[in-house]
Amino acid sequence: MKKTFKRIFQAGWTNFKRNSYISFGTTGVMTLVLLLFTGLIVISYVSDHVISDLKDKVDVTAYFKQEASEDQIMSVKEDLAGQPEVAAVTYVSRDDALNEFKARHAGDALIQESLAELSDNPLQASLNIKANDSSQYATIVNFLEGNDFRPIVDKINFYENEAVIGRVESISNGVRNWGLLGVLILSAIAVLVTFNTIRLTIYNQRQEIEIMRLVGGSTWHIKAPFLIEGGLYGIFAAILATVIFYPTLWFASSKAAALIPDVNLMGYFLANAGEFVGIIAAAGVALGVVSSFIAIRRFLKV
Amino acid sequence: MIEFKDVSTIYDDSFTALDGINLEIKDGEFVCLVGPSGAGKSTLLKLMTRELHPSSGDVVIDGVNIADLSSAEVPLLRRKIGTIFQDFKLLSKKNAFENVAFALEVCGADPEEISENVPKVLSIVGLSEKIANFPHQMSGGERQRLAIARALIHRPHIILADEPTGNLDLVNSYDVVKLLMKINEFGTTVILATHNREIVNAVGKRVISMERGKIVRDQIEQGKYII
Repeated sequence: MKKTFKRIFQAGWTNFKRNSYISFGTTGVMTLVLLLFTGLIVISYVSDHVISDLKDKVDVTAYFKQEASEDQIMSVKEDLAGQPEVAAVTYVSRDDALNEFKARHAGDALIQESLAELSDNPLQASLNIKANDSSQYATIVNFLEGNDFRPIVDKINFYENEAVIGRVESISNGVRNWGLLGVLILSAIAVLVTFNTIRLTIYNQRQEIEIMRLVGGSTWHIKAPFLIEGGLYGIFAAILATVIFYPTLWFASSKAAALIPDVNLMGYFLANAGEFVGIIAAAGVALGVVSSFIAIRRFLKV
Repeated sequence: MIEFKDVSTIYDDSFTALDGINLEIKDGEFVCLVGPSGAGKSTLLKLMTRELHPSSGDVVIDGVNIADLSSAEVPLLRRKIGTIFQDFKLLSKKNAFENVAFALEVCGADPEEISENVPKVLSIVGLSEKIANFPHQMSGGERQRLAIARALIHRPHIILADEPTGNLDLVNSYDVVKLLMKINEFGTTVILATHNREIVNAVGKRVISMERGKIVRDQIEQGKYII
């Protein structure tokens, strides 16, 4: 058994070395395919990040009338917290709102003086609500509208934010659906290109395969070295793709930081380097082996 | 024993390559299969290695109907049969030793067995000196002898030679045929498909003549090439 494996690996490796031009070409094509995959992973990471940032920024605030008591507001807060769509509710009292306002305008003498002249706090208490998903704000607002304490609510800023929330939602859905479709189409093209390249490589060795068949080689003794050869293309392509990917990412990362400061591309892909390289290598080997497996079948029919 | 029982082969539902062949070849026989191109000689040989399936009838080798073999058993059948071709079918990127060794490797033989047996068989065909030469460094006759060495490496019961002298001059053709006769003397059945009149007449063994997919003459002893 050990001898058989050794022979199979040796035969695969010898094939890979002896057909150096073909191996170089096939590995090159597979490297491009794997780079396309890495590009898709980066784009998917950036778009997820940007969308989740946008979603984080979306919230709804309910402002309460001056006469609303803290107990009443807390009761509304509890009702809201019990809703499955609600991720978090933050209470901002009138005093907190005033302190925050003062702090925000600390350098503006005119505002400070105007506030000092007022006998009463002009700001309203509010509840800041975050939903689990931006599509759920409408449900939450409907719930508030139907609440017993609706009369003490002065206004809900959802109606001002509604257009923005809808837009974020449609961008997010669009990126998800079209992105998935794009990834599927590009992946299918990549698999076809790899498959055809390997098929040509095996076609070049069809005479060898025919002779192996005629001298009594069993299917697996013939097939296995080609599968190893396919796997080797994948491994070398993964190494090349990684070597090209990281310097390119380093270059792109500084450019991307100017556009989207929150995204640290280099940091993320370095922190997950093991997993990332593993995925690329696994994709390369799987592509190589599966393509070889399918491609060799028709030549084994002798 | 090789038996053809009412075997017909029809290509693409229109061209009849073999038409109701009934034939028996005993162990250890030397048979010349003669006839013009398209007579069905190669088809007959390919049925024995199951490169082709008959459209009807049975091909039985050593009591086994080869249509009954599973695809995993076909390689085992082919190891019992050595095949020699007109175009040699050697691997240009492998030297003489590797070309023969390769036939053993694909069957999972031990490296020790390979390094012991390959030089022996190359010496039988007179190629000991050329063990490290590549096919392009050999003459036509040497290449065909190398192909015979590869066919012999499994110690087959049967040798099928499909126009083995087709690409050779007369001297080299006689060398190859002498080698086949020597192999036959050791008890191996040899089936030689050819349309080389001089060779067939010089061999003086059983001659089966074919025309348009049928056996038209079977001379059991001292056969001659007659069309």
